[in-house]
Amino acid sequence: MVVSLNLCLGLAAAIFVVGMTGFVVRRNTLVMLMCIELMLSSVNLVFAAFSRQLGDASGHVFVLMNFAVAAAEAAIGLAMLVEIYRRRRTVDVDELKSLME
Amino acid sequence: MEAFLFFTCGALMLLGGVMMVLQRSAVVAALWLVFAFIAAAGVFAALSAPFVAIMQVLVYAGAIMVLFLFVIMMLHGPVLDGERKRLPLPMWPAVAIPPLAVLVLVGGWLSGRKAEALPAAPEGFGAPAQIANLLLGRYLLAFELISIVLLVALIGALTLGLRERKLPWS
Repeated sequence: MVVSLNLCLGLAAAIFVVGMTGFVVRRNTLVMLMCIELMLSSVNLVFAAFSRQLGDASGHVFVLMNFAVAAAEAAIGLAMLVEIYRRRRTVDVDELKSLME
Repeated sequence: MEAFLFFTCGALMLLGGVMMVLQRSAVVAALWLVFAFIAAAGVFAALSAPFVAIMQVLVYAGAIMVLFLFVIMMLHGPVLDGERKRLPLPMWPAVAIPPLAVLVLVGGWLSGRKAEALPAAPEGFGAPAQIANLLLGRYLLAFELISIVLLVALIGALTLGLRERKLPWS
């Protein structure tokens, strides 16, 4: 068994799909944010795989950029969530649909 | 050795992601996600990205997930009532079709490609010295811009988190 680019991309796609399904299925906003983190992480795998394939470490730089984006997203998302919880006393997306009605 | 690390850590990362989605409790889900991220560090190591692997453990599995666990324990440790309900039956195709479409598209594209082993990494590939050269050389502008993104996120989180609207600049 050898590690090929196809395997890396397939693994990343599978992990992305797991995150995507979780985002739709789960009702807890915290877990939905975690699913977004998992999807971002699967993109990092693609960057690292192509970096290795092309012998150019630029992909690693973009993985580090992606870490910063994920950190910013987690910070803002969790701050919004805490604020929503203070006002509505819930983090269930089924309860938070006043914009939809 | 490399293939062994890749397959083991890749399978463990997939397992961690699936278990995160299946767990009802948010705390247990967060712990499974930490597991998945540590396994991702192993995958990065197998793809000869040692610096990225270390940063994955430090930043993702360390900092970001600690933030998540902190907020989960502050808000709602137990399971939400809504999580005990099952999805209504008409929702299932809506949930299942997009992931299947992605898998079929990617799988179809990959099956048409030759599966060659990844080329061997050159000496010092992905080492901190090489990353630093790129980060402070070719990608200096991106590096500075991402620091502004982090600063704005910091100010935004601070603004959202203040209980009274008494900000020092207003």
